[in-house]
Amino acid sequence: MLSEFGLTALFIVIVLGFSVSLVLIPVALRKPGIVPHNPSDIKSAPYECGLDTIGPTWVQFKIRYYFYALLLITLDVVIIFIYPWAVELHNLGASGFWPVVSFLAIVGTGYVYAWRKGALEWK
Amino acid sequence: MEVRIEPCYPEIDAHESRVIEDLKSSSTQPIAEPSGWLDEEINRNILVTTVDKLLNWGRKTSLWTETSFTACCTFEFISTSSSRFDIARFGMEVLRSSPRHSDLIVTAGTLTWKMAPQIKRVYDQMAEPKWVIAMGACGISGGIFADSYSVVPGYNRILPVDVYIPGCPPRPEALLAGIEKLRKKIEQSSISNKS
Amino acid sequence: MAELILFPASIRSELPFGFWLHLAIFAIGIIAILLTSVIIFIWFERRLVGRFQLRKGPNRAGPFGILQSVADVIKILTKEDIIPSRADKFLFWLAPVIAFSPVVVMLAVVPVAGGALLADLDIGILFIIAMSSITSLGIFTGGWASYNKYSLLSSMRVVSQLVSYEIPLILSLVGVVMLTGSLSLDEMVNAQNVPFILLQPTGFFIFFIASLAEISRSPFDLLEADSELVAGYNIEYSGMKFATFYLTEYCEAIVLSTLTATLFLGGWQGPWLPPLVWLLLKITLVFSIIVWIRATLPRLRIDQVMGFAWKFLLPLAVLNILLTGSFVAFWPEAPSWMIGIANLVLLIGYILFRSRFFKPGGVTVGAS
Ligand code: SF4
Repeated sequence: MLSEFGLTALFIVIVLGFSVSLVLIPVALRKPGIVPHNPSDIKSAPYECGLDTIGPTWVQFKIRYYFYALLLITLDVVIIFIYPWAVELHNLGASGFWPVVSFLAIVGTGYVYAWRKGALEWK
Repeated sequence: MEVRIEPCYPEIDAHESRVIEDLKSSSTQPIAEPSGWLDEEINRNILVTTVDKLLNWGRKTSLWTETSFTACCTFEFISTSSSRFDIARFGMEVLRSSPRHSDLIVTAGTLTWKMAPQIKRVYDQMAEPKWVIAMGACGISGGIFADSYSVVPGYNRILPVDVYIPGCPPRPEALLAGIEKLRKKIEQSSISNKS
Repeated sequence: MAELILFPASIRSELPFGFWLHLAIFAIGIIAILLTSVIIFIWFERRLVGRFQLRKGPNRAGPFGILQSVADVIKILTKEDIIPSRADKFLFWLAPVIAFSPVVVMLAVVPVAGGALLADLDIGILFIIAMSSITSLGIFTGGWASYNKYSLLSSMRVVSQLVSYEIPLILSLVGVVMLTGSLSLDEMVNAQNVPFILLQPTGFFIFFIASLAEISRSPFDLLEADSELVAGYNIEYSGMKFATFYLTEYCEAIVLSTLTATLFLGGWQGPWLPPLVWLLLKITLVFSIIVWIRATLPRLRIDQVMGFAWKFLLPLAVLNILLTGSFVAFWPEAPSWMIGIANLVLLIGYILFRSRFFKPGGVTVGAS
């Protein structure tokens, strides 16, 4: 099994090297003049449909987006519990079924509460 | 009830009109067509020729158009890109909204001085190599609005135009012919020429 | 080598070529096949969309225009590389790499034939899920680093959309895992005497829709809504860095097709033809369906997209888990057609039930 993980890790390294070289090709081709390169102030300004940008860009964002992140974390924990259970369910049989159902019922109560409170609404 | 209209950002408005006036006074003469190199004798060796062939083939086959259309000629462009005339045959159906991705501006429509700085800025922000097609009478010379105080008399006042297509509006066939001309022109360019 | 691709026996046990040769063959093979198929599939999609719209599609470059994407690659490779002066330069360079690498890495655990895969991880599915969420990180990094308001907004949308659809996506696979009793993709394919699409239609339905959203294909392509967000998270990217993002999108589509083929359509299994050919045929089939969907459906609004994930797909996924789980736990020797029919009844019943009461996003058109 360990060799399989070794293979995966080496493959990740190979792919990383490949994609870095992909991004660096134009830099190499700049020297012989194949890739044109003449930067200017206007060219490297942000593109906003031909207008100057007004105000800072990196600002605080709407809280709306973080609700979903919180819900994700909650449900990701559920998933961590469910996957090992799903793999072993055919050995566990009926005795392994009910505990997870009650667990899902508890999480489901929270889900219904969030729905009722309007946390799932996009406003 | 009394209605008061105040300019929200007076300094931005003032800045805008200053930019327009500057552009207006600095572009009284048409910019020459960027094709001086066509007659020039370029020293090409065999390697440069091969690379040129490959690059020019790639560049002429995938001309991605910037979506910056200003007036009525646009509809002929739309008609050219839809089913009946199908610009996609030349690999040109990819319309990119960002100038960083696009190679070609088709200036379809009348250009007013108010809009001119924006168009110029979009052109300046395009990644090289880049080409311009002036489409329609307005694009060439201002067309029927040529005498107006507010209309730019031809795109070549602010951009270096490669191909001119006459007509008001030009038919899709004319646009396709213009694109064909541009492809011929691209075929002749070379990397050893730095204009 | 040819024998390995065409008629592999169970080569897994001893890695017949040794560790390094095995790594080299599969690494080069995966990257080469993926890139070639991206080039072919881009052309294929453009031709197909052309046909859907009564057009001809690209046909000038090479025979049937098949070299169209090659021309695109040449052009985009030699385009100027613009780096915005106010961008976060390091992250700006890093983002395409973060987005692209995990997509390729996902293919490491997909079998191309019995036992023929780069690494037979016993946590295959978890590995794929983990990798697929990293891509959204790359996209967000790109959108944030380029110092552009549109790309920042677009990448925020991407993250919230991906986060929402990740839950149904992962839960939809639990049914498959329960039927197989393993997380390894190799064993999943071996377990499919009957393709899982027949046993798990609900799981397939959720998985397919959620992964369409996960790779931001239409109708969920909100992140590059041209009319509102200019071009999406990659506005400021030009040249090869933009091409890497473009590549990422198509690689994701191909990897999704591969996963759908592997998990639900029986993978490399099939009579007469060699396994790799079967896998490629199934991938092409799934990809054509994705293109068909793109050519047919209009884009959704963001509140509809979110509402659909949280209020429709999530309960359905949980119901699917309970149904399949009760079969596996209480009646393990149930005939497979019964599991399939019960699942199909659940899917159809749920859709009918919800379609009467459910309004996407909780708002009807014109109500506000
Ligand atoms: S040339 Fe004619 S059709 Fe074209 S923009 Fe001018 S007035 Fe309109």
